Amino acid sequence: MSLQITDLRKRFGETQALDGISFAVEPGQVFGFLGANGAGKTTTMRIVLDILHADSGSVTWQGRPSTDLPRRTFGYLPEERGLYPRMQVLEQLVFFAGLYGVPRKTAAADVRGWLTRFRVPEYADRRAEELSKGNQQKIQFIAAVLHDPDVLIMDEPFSGLDPVNVALLKAAFLEMRERGKTLIFSTHQMETVEELCDAVAIIDAGRLVANGPTADVKRSSGKRVVRLGVAGDPELAWLAELDGVRVGRSGRDYSEIEVVPPRDPETILHAAIEHGERVTLFEIADPSLEQVFVDLVGRHAAPDEERTLAHLPVSGRA
Amino acid sequence: MHIRLANVLTIARREYLVRARTRSFKVATVFLVVAAVLVTLAPLAVRRLDHGSTAKVGIHASATLSFDPIARLDTTINLPATPGGTGPFTFSTVSDLAAGRTAVDKGDLSAVVDIARDPAGDLAFTIISKDGPTLRIPTLLRQGSSVLATTDRLLRGGYPADQIDSLGIPPSVSVVGPTPPTPGEQPKDFAGELGGPLTAQALVIFLFMAIILYGQWVAMSVAEEKSGRVMEIVLNAASPFELLAGKVVGVGSLGLTQYVAAIIPAAIALMLQDRIAAFILGEAAASAAPAASGLTPSLLIAFAVLFVLGFLLYAVLYAAAGSLVSRMEDINSVVAPMTLVGMAGYFIAVYTSSGLIPGDAAWVVVLSYVPFVSPYLMLSRFATGLAGPLDLALASVLLVVAIVICLWVAARIYAAGVLTYGQKPSARSLFTAAFARRG
Repeated sequence: MSLQITDLRKRFGETQALDGISFAVEPGQVFGFLGANGAGKTTTMRIVLDILHADSGSVTWQGRPSTDLPRRTFGYLPEERGLYPRMQVLEQLVFFAGLYGVPRKTAAADVRGWLTRFRVPEYADRRAEELSKGNQQKIQFIAAVLHDPDVLIMDEPFSGLDPVNVALLKAAFLEMRERGKTLIFSTHQMETVEELCDAVAIIDAGRLVANGPTADVKRSSGKRVVRLGVAGDPELAWLAELDGVRVGRSGRDYSEIEVVPPRDPETILHAAIEHGERVTLFEIADPSLEQVFVDLVGRHAAPDEERTLAHLPVSGRA
Repeated sequence: MHIRLANVLTIARREYLVRARTRSFKVATVFLVVAAVLVTLAPLAVRRLDHGSTAKVGIHASATLSFDPIARLDTTINLPATPGGTGPFTFSTVSDLAAGRTAVDKGDLSAVVDIARDPAGDLAFTIISKDGPTLRIPTLLRQGSSVLATTDRLLRGGYPADQIDSLGIPPSVSVVGPTPPTPGEQPKDFAGELGGPLTAQALVIFLFMAIILYGQWVAMSVAEEKSGRVMEIVLNAASPFELLAGKVVGVGSLGLTQYVAAIIPAAIALMLQDRIAAFILGEAAASAAPAASGLTPSLLIAFAVLFVLGFLLYAVLYAAAGSLVSRMEDINSVVAPMTLVGMAGYFIAVYTSSGLIPGDAAWVVVLSYVPFVSPYLMLSRFATGLAGPLDLALASVLLVVAIVICLWVAARIYAAGVLTYGQKPSARSLFTAAFARRG
């Protein structure tokens, strides 16, 4: 039974933040939740977590509405990062776990385990304000997983991390998947999505624009990408004569060429040979998720800026 | 509304521990303990001052007198303020005026009174003292001088010498209310009137400080979580109501801890008052003196009840206010309405207990039941004996009702406020948030 999100709608004053979002996340999947700034990703996550209430629509996990689920079903790494600055790391993580009913001793042992994994065991007794931003983020990831949630929802988990810490976090993701957890995260790093995600959903202005297994979404446009390398002719001027072909990126060793149906990618190889080129590389591939994203959303992905909600959101759990 | 008590307690526990560890809390607690003990022992200190301030005054008679001036002074201006105590002076006869001057100069005597006779036959007095004419000792001695002059005139006029002493006996004066007491009614105890206003003022100040201080803590703690963005992590685990309740309980318990820490030494001091009095003032003085009218157990209970209820009422509103700001700097402006209402109650209470505003004026009586100002006014009226346990109970019930209503409203404002960043909330959006139908 999956996490089923059905026809979510949410309006903040004049802004229709969500306009009928529906998708499903299968248990055990790593799921990428993509969209440009202000597309409605955070709002959707908050509704799934029952922090916000949708105007209409429903969220169910294994057939139960999210409002009925125990709080410990979900782990949440919010986009707004924050810890208690003057509390020791161990103490505050034990506090967060305690809110989900994890006994203090168990939580303390788990915290030390995670800190060791993240190569910072000495942080247990440090105050959060003494840690760098990247390290605070690792602490927050631990806060999200300590109570062993079935579903882990993370808003921009990789932003602000150095490559070493990105690798550590990716390894942690994969381990969570091996433990049978469901992971949903938003990011603007499309390579990471391609590397980790079994499936994705892309939303734009509160509407779903693509959804499905990552490979399917990449192929959904029907476009293919040809990587063509020829000796001594970086210009490839003859390509302009062909219909349904566009040079996406030209480089020294090879160029990336977008091929739009009904043109068959193989015809490019024939054309190259006809023009007397010496072909050093010819490869047919799916377009990158980045290209698909730009095509669908029309903008390049960029990190979220801090945004202001237009009007007061009202929680239903008061 | 489903409330998990465990979460409330977990949140309260964190709030309590984190705050209790701060240096400012420790310093404030020590300060309060010392202040509470001093308030309890204040009446003793006043007696000790009275007791210890016996001034030695020499009497030199340049004129011939037909009576003993020292005996006259001892039965008039030198009567002890409390039964069994001593008067302000110890008089002695000085035979050599020059030696008397030297003694005043050296500080062996506080003053010397020289009694002479002017050409008209009346007594004339010279008070030799380092103090100016308006200070306490010369002022009292001037009163004494007129007693002596009057005695002298009366005796010269033929007044019977054996009746002179009875001149100083004070007449019988009783102060009664406009309605005669019903038979069997306990006479009103005026013993508390001296210490009452002082104690009432001290307690009202204590209460006001506690509510403002701990209320601000609640508001700051909420704003801190919000501006530090920890709120969202906590909100996934706990509902806004649990968070609100946990904070109020946590900070409130900390306030109670401080209160109990201050009260225990004060209570011990209160119980040992007689022994401390015996130690300081001497056995006889202590047993003869009436119990000092400082803190009484019933007043302490009244204070505890009004403190807890008053704090709860203000704290839930402070929490709601704290949830509306995104930056710590904005706290003062959002808590201002509560602070102003609190200050109004506080000032009326202080003026009432000091007698500037009559404590039985109709509007004061009515206000002493009105939540928000009742903690201060009822405390003041109770401490000065103008209100009884029933009045206290009624004010408490009304406070509880107000707390329930405010909690309901505050939880809704809080739930709406904690995730709102950036804009200053308008009254209308707040109203909408607080009373909107829940999805």
